[in-house]
Amino acid sequence: MSPIAITCKRTLGVLKSLYSTVLAYSLFFAAAGASFAFSLEAAEGGETPIAVIWAIATAPLLPILASLLAMDVWSDEKRTGRIEQLLCTPVLERDFTIGKFLGVLIAAMTALGAFLISTIFFLYFFAPSALENQTFFSFLPALMALAMQSTLWCAVAVAASAAFRHAAAAAITTIAITSAIPRGLWLALMQWAPQGRLSFGEMPLDAQIFDITNGSISSATVLSYALLSIFSLFIATKFTTAARYIGRGARQHKWSMATVVTLTIVLSVMLLGLFYRLNTTIELPIGIHSERIFSEKTRTILRETRGEITISAFMSRKDSRFRQISYFLRALSREADAVGGARINIRYVDPRWDLGAAGRLVNIGADVDSLVFERGRRQTILPLGSNFSERRCASALQKIAMPPQRKKIYWTRGHGECPFEAYGPWGMSDIARELHFAGYHNQSINLAQDSEIPSDCALVIVAGPKSDFSKTETGRLDTYLRKGGRLLLLFSGEKDKDWIAKLLTGWGIAIESAKPDGVKTQSGTDVIVSDFSDHPITDPIRGRQILLEAPTTFSHSSSSEAPGADKIEYFELAKTGDYCVAAVSERGSNAGEDLELRPTRIVAIGDASFIMNAQLKEKGNENRVFFLNSVAYLSGSGAMTGADTEASRLITRMDRSTRIKFVFASSAIFPGILFIIAMAIVIAGRKRS
Amino acid sequence: MYEVRNIAFTYSRRKILRDVSFVVSPGETVAVVGNNGAGKTTLMKVLATLYPPDSGLVLSDGQDALSNPLKYRRQLGYMGETPALYEDMKVKAYLEYRAAIKGEVEKRIRRRVGEAAEICQIPDLMSTPIRHLSAGQKKRVALADAILLRPRVLLLDDFLAGLDRTMREAAGSIVTTVAAFAGVIITGHEIADLAKWTTRFLVLSGGVISSVIPSAGMDYATTIKRVDNALGGGR
Repeated sequence: MSPIAITCKRTLGVLKSLYSTVLAYSLFFAAAGASFAFSLEAAEGGETPIAVIWAIATAPLLPILASLLAMDVWSDEKRTGRIEQLLCTPVLERDFTIGKFLGVLIAAMTALGAFLISTIFFLYFFAPSALENQTFFSFLPALMALAMQSTLWCAVAVAASAAFRHAAAAAITTIAITSAIPRGLWLALMQWAPQGRLSFGEMPLDAQIFDITNGSISSATVLSYALLSIFSLFIATKFTTAARYIGRGARQHKWSMATVVTLTIVLSVMLLGLFYRLNTTIELPIGIHSERIFSEKTRTILRETRGEITISAFMSRKDSRFRQISYFLRALSREADAVGGARINIRYVDPRWDLGAAGRLVNIGADVDSLVFERGRRQTILPLGSNFSERRCASALQKIAMPPQRKKIYWTRGHGECPFEAYGPWGMSDIARELHFAGYHNQSINLAQDSEIPSDCALVIVAGPKSDFSKTETGRLDTYLRKGGRLLLLFSGEKDKDWIAKLLTGWGIAIESAKPDGVKTQSGTDVIVSDFSDHPITDPIRGRQILLEAPTTFSHSSSSEAPGADKIEYFELAKTGDYCVAAVSERGSNAGEDLELRPTRIVAIGDASFIMNAQLKEKGNENRVFFLNSVAYLSGSGAMTGADTEASRLITRMDRSTRIKFVFASSAIFPGILFIIAMAIVIAGRKRS
Repeated sequence: MYEVRNIAFTYSRRKILRDVSFVVSPGETVAVVGNNGAGKTTLMKVLATLYPPDSGLVLSDGQDALSNPLKYRRQLGYMGETPALYEDMKVKAYLEYRAAIKGEVEKRIRRRVGEAAEICQIPDLMSTPIRHLSAGQKKRVALADAILLRPRVLLLDDFLAGLDRTMREAAGSIVTTVAAFAGVIITGHEIADLAKWTTRFLVLSGGVISSVIPSAGMDYATTIKRVDNALGGGR
């Protein structure tokens, strides 16, 4: 065996027999488990792949793990004087350093691998839906990214251990160099100049993890990590060699040719990288974005569109969102090729450099930070706001691919309804914007003032009225419905709404006074609804869940029975426990086709707040889809299917108690069991020796 | 032939060794003696390549040893004044690890360890954890480590310090055995013991070898007296 292998084996043997290793592993598992569990909760419903969440949650803890594992490897040899026994053997200091480094790296990677396995194990038990469409290989880029950072942290930790006689000093130095100082500086920079985030992007250490986990490796990043790791090991070797020169002054130290050559190469490559900004991106075939699954709606639009579509990303390449947008557009282009539809050309227009192209985009009305979709003479501009999503993109594609036909939605006014144009947390501007992008035109109507509902109305929405409608208003609504009108009723609170109740009863829906009790809840005040019937509105979200706040419940009203074509069909759309919280009634669907009559449709949902801005911002993905599908069904444009309910969304379907169990199991029980087993192994090993 | 020529060494701007020169023939055991602070340990560390000298040469079989330290260290056995061993290991595992790290081929390791253990009279300690050994036993293990690969030059720094009379006598017989295949350089203050089995005394004083006192073929009492005188003169 080579000296490197022997030293590596010995280092692993020592680490195996140390209580500090047991403590380091247990602390790492506990902290990483908690970090991942909380990150998972925060990312619920988002587009961030689970592998990225896992990697980002784990990465900040790796420097601590590396420092605890490596703190003893050289400092203990120095403190006990065993370093002399090593230095008088026919082995280079470099080989000892590399051997020790490899031992620490293997120990760190073992912890990382074990943590990944435990994560998958716990997800499998507590949130199997989060692992849908995921395989072990989905985590491979994340593991590679963390391995790359671990390599550097272990090398720095070994160097720190070689510099000090005391393990604690080595550990503190490692944590300071690898974590506290860079992250502290970054936080200070962001505090000092918060607008800098747009120019500098995310914290580089996290951004690198994000990039690699997404399947995009920058050669400059890999080269930097490799060089810095080699440089750290070089420094570690020099600290070891310096043990021969203690008390003799630096001038006694003779610089060998190897030292000079190594330093020259490292510095030259770093300077070259700085000047030329090496940034050749290599895309991994196993990247998550190559597996990105687009919604059926997007795929349909792509499939049905012919010719060429040009998408110009009008933004700075330094923008923190640039990479994500770039990945997304490339995935979209690949998807278009795969379904054999439109050919998508992507252009990146940086307003600082591509002046000609930027000028043209400005002339057609585009602002910086937007996507410009062009097909022939048709153009549409999609701003890259915080609400950018695949659905927005699909709508933009639809706009330029299909002739414009806006259907009008009328939102009632005058009874304290949630205003669709309000931007506050209790407003509904987000969902109204969604409707706008989906091809609808939002308009308000006051039934007390307007004599009748206009004939171009595709749908009336009553969004959480706080006071009852008058007899005249309900009469106008009833007249509209009898002509084949469409109504979406969203309830709020328990206020008496006699006239609305009477209106609904006539259409087969009775409002119940009972509120759901003893049903599943996430925050304690909301209600988890996961029991959906077989209906076009709910088909896309079957197996998922929506959250409603203290919803009104419904039942079938028998007083509405009518024969033949007037027969009212009643469906319970969504239930929680025995309570129906969303219902649909339809009249004339049987005869509608023959008589060329438009069937009347009413959807009643027991809560209005579920699509308010605040709700949608947090965990409202399924809520959004449920509402949009209801609108699509009522307006007759077919179910929208819900772009974001696809596999690209992270859905754990954990309720509150399951989430608590998950946090407890991954951050306390598993590390605790590991601690006990590892301690038993160490104690038994020590007794044996 | 092992030759030390004009070695000089400075530590914290203080000249510890000024001009040390001597020759050790194969099979010879040389004792380097001197008062505290004379530079015995420093000299041993310089010869063990732990400290690079300011100037001077170490010639092993006529070749400059310090310019090719890896080759030289293969021919060298060194035991420091305090044996620093891996306390978590058993004696056998420790010696096998040391033999491997010194570059011995795997199939010969067991034989080498067995030989060294035999010479140092520790076969019955082989399965004992090092942390359970006494100071004397640890010295024997450290000596076994130093002679594992049958070195041509064996450096023993303050080897007899802290050993009782019985152990010192045993150590003498061990060193005599080792001297059959290696030139031995040993430092210490136990002149009476060293005089029994060394061939020469080198008195280190003021950074130079101030006296060379042969002990082989000389009257035991006379040798001790001459060494004592040389050391007294050093004071």
